[in-house]
Amino acid sequence: MTTEVVNINKSFGDFRALNDINVTINDGEFLAILGPSGCGKTTLLRLLAGFESPTDGMIHINKSLVADRKTITQPEQRNVSMVFQSFALWPHMTVSQHIEFPLKHHRYVDAELRNHSKDRIDEVLKIVELEPFAGRLPGELSGGQKQRVSLARAIAPKPELLLMDEPLSNLDAELRLEMRREIQNLHRLTQAAIVYVTHDQGEALAMADRIIVMNKGHIEQIGSPEEIYHHPKTPFVATFVGKANIFEGTWENNIFTPQGTNEKWKDIGVTKELISENMYALRPEQIELKHAGQNENFGEILTRQFQGKEYHYSVRYNNQTVIVYRPVSEKFRVGDYVSLNPLGNH
Amino acid sequence: MTQNEQNGQGRGNESAAPSLIRNIVRTTAILLIIIFFVVPIIRLVLMSFIGDDGFTSEFYREMFSQDRTYEVLKNTLIVVVGSTVIAAFLGVLFAWLLAYTDVRFKNTIQLFVFLPFIIPSYITSLAWVEFFGPSGTLNSFMSMLGLEQVAWDLYSMSGLVFVMGISHFPLVYLFTVNVFRRIPREMELAGRSSGAGTLTAFRKIVLPMALPGIVGGAFIAFLGGLDNFGIPAFLGTPADIPVLSTYIYQQIIGFGTSTFNTAAVMSVVLGIIALAGMGIQWLFLRRSKRLETTTMDYTPRHHLGKKRLMVESVIWLFFIVTGIFPLLSMASTSFLSAYGLDYSLETLTFKNYSYIFTSSSTVESLTNSVKLASVTTIIGILIGTMIAYYRVRKADTTIKLIEGTITVPYALPGTVLALAMIFTWMEPIPGWNPGIYGSALIMYIAYITRFLVLQVRSAITAFQQLDTNIEEASRISGTNGWPKWRKIMVPLITPGVLSGALLVFLSALTELTVSALLYSSTTKTIGVTILSFQQSGYTLYATAFSSMIVLLIVAAYCLLFIVQAILNRKVNH
Repeated sequence: MTTEVVNINKSFGDFRALNDINVTINDGEFLAILGPSGCGKTTLLRLLAGFESPTDGMIHINKSLVADRKTITQPEQRNVSMVFQSFALWPHMTVSQHIEFPLKHHRYVDAELRNHSKDRIDEVLKIVELEPFAGRLPGELSGGQKQRVSLARAIAPKPELLLMDEPLSNLDAELRLEMRREIQNLHRLTQAAIVYVTHDQGEALAMADRIIVMNKGHIEQIGSPEEIYHHPKTPFVATFVGKANIFEGTWENNIFTPQGTNEKWKDIGVTKELISENMYALRPEQIELKHAGQNENFGEILTRQFQGKEYHYSVRYNNQTVIVYRPVSEKFRVGDYVSLNPLGNH
Repeated sequence: MTQNEQNGQGRGNESAAPSLIRNIVRTTAILLIIIFFVVPIIRLVLMSFIGDDGFTSEFYREMFSQDRTYEVLKNTLIVVVGSTVIAAFLGVLFAWLLAYTDVRFKNTIQLFVFLPFIIPSYITSLAWVEFFGPSGTLNSFMSMLGLEQVAWDLYSMSGLVFVMGISHFPLVYLFTVNVFRRIPREMELAGRSSGAGTLTAFRKIVLPMALPGIVGGAFIAFLGGLDNFGIPAFLGTPADIPVLSTYIYQQIIGFGTSTFNTAAVMSVVLGIIALAGMGIQWLFLRRSKRLETTTMDYTPRHHLGKKRLMVESVIWLFFIVTGIFPLLSMASTSFLSAYGLDYSLETLTFKNYSYIFTSSSTVESLTNSVKLASVTTIIGILIGTMIAYYRVRKADTTIKLIEGTITVPYALPGTVLALAMIFTWMEPIPGWNPGIYGSALIMYIAYITRFLVLQVRSAITAFQQLDTNIEEASRISGTNGWPKWRKIMVPLITPGVLSGALLVFLSALTELTVSALLYSSTTKTIGVTILSFQQSGYTLYATAFSSMIVLLIVAAYCLLFIVQAILNRKVNH
């Protein structure tokens, strides 16, 4: 089953939340939508669920039209499930009642599953490891357990498209890492296509087959996690995903010279899109620092933060602040003058 | 993300037919609202202008040329402003004590704060007379101790002002206490660490931030004062202190030649004052909205230390003197065989109660009130919950207008509403009298229009506490219809809807103002019966009937608490 989003636009009054969004979600794919808050990623997800209607454009699920400018298929009539950021558990219903509810009411549950809903409940409880808590109410569960209930409710009817709206953002850091593995597991077990909205690039990079990076209602880049990380096509993707420093300057024969210097930096895989904008992106760990000698373009160390296995420096370089991570074996002091080069630029 | 909430409803994929049904439903709803809520107001205004010879302003000129009018207006002003000042002072004081200090038994104190609110004000008047009055319990007690008599004639302006102030301070408290709790404590602490003392910090930081809430509450007390009929009818009328509400009543009851017109003129004046008050209050509450995002903080901010016991003693003394003793005095009077006797074994009797339970007039009024209150409550739950749901989830202009419209009959003083009802239903279409006025039907109509908004408000609160996601989770699980309501929505809103329903039920059960003008010999209500007992000198029956009603009210609230505790036990851990 594929889901196609074609030229979708969405406005709220004068505010344009989505601009010409085109994307195809393949069968069984784990697709992450990554972007800062207000970029339109949740709106896109809610359009897929049917909670919003598009101002323009079309959405097809499994080749049938579910939304266009005039008509929309209501959420309860779509073959989708959703996991909410706030869990959205029903406070008066037990864990197994949560799982039972979609089995009874979801339109696309096949008869076999519906007739053996008890078995399916047990099966789902087992998958999310909540068997001992089947009779508990949401108020009696921890945050992680609540999230599992929310996941269990979503996967119970075996949907072919599973939507997740920042499902881990209400959990603490430790639990988040654990739940990442569980969601990966779920994806493997259910083989449903997952659309996963997040503002955390770590989550997107770790779990997704493909990532859509969004900003201000536009898609900035679609690609595999590796492509997005190593070969960002826009300065936004470079800074948001890789926390990269963007340098402006001139490109000549695959050699980059930062503005106001006569340095020569080799191409380390900068995309043609960035090259055409006369830019060069370097992630903090891709930068080498050396104590500056004479006749060199130098930077000045502004701050130093100890982070265990490395130091994080901010360096004043050519009127911009550059973030650099260096191993603890190389230590600079605040105020030191340093030269700055891409790693392995010799 | 807020922009997501603005567009709740997707356009349905069903085409022409259902949207036609939706339009019919919408049009019918608007029409009903106009017929029951808007037309009466228009008829009332027209009545004040239309005499035998057509359109005229003669009634206005006549009214403003009479000295009596200015006396009534002056009385009204003194009573309303005086009681508002008392209510605001007590309300803010209790709100501050319960929100910020470490006094103990806050839940119990809060129950006692609400006491004057849940007991009808005419019963409070009666109870105060029995306690503070010249032949009241306080005086008997003083003379028993050989002390000087401290009789306070409550049939006076001061009696009116105090009883009304006490009756309305819970309203100010309700509006203020959560405003106080929402002000982050860091605001005050920041002031203190900038060098302000406790008092300066309160005056310059807390008070200005709480002011919109306080003023909003004070205006509610002001409106309550304009509306109140029970207190001036019980305490003012015997001493010939008419205020607008009782004066209009007397005009109607007096049946002069152009009384309906004169009453209409005064009602328009009273209505305009009330609506202006409501408008100002609305403006202030809009300003206080910005505080609503912050969460409520229930932990004490000021520790009273050694003074705590003293403060607590004053609080409890206040409740005992203003609440418990008057009610007990009323209860004990109800057991006397004749009014004014001293208490002894020979003077005690149950005959007042046996009269209440056997006399056809009291039993009939009790059944009338219970029937009226039950029907009003059930219709309120059905229609009110529906309106509230659309108000919370869809929030379009139509539903906002509907909400505003159904607020008007509650905001208008009861006498004004009753009069508007008479003008509308006596002859719904000129020349045709279907006999609604004079039957029980007009009272059902009046009660439902008056109290519907209470149910809507409580249901709105209940729905607002339900996260939209809770409902969306049900839709994405496959149902937006009956199963969603039965399994998810109804169980979750029931506690909130029930407390609103009880408020409607008790308000309707003990209603006096509207029924005093609309009742007929077969449709007397509890309030009307108690008023007529009191006015014809049957004080003992009045106290016995009132004591029984107070018991009923207390029992009903106990029942509500038990039901809510059972319902919530599952959900809140």
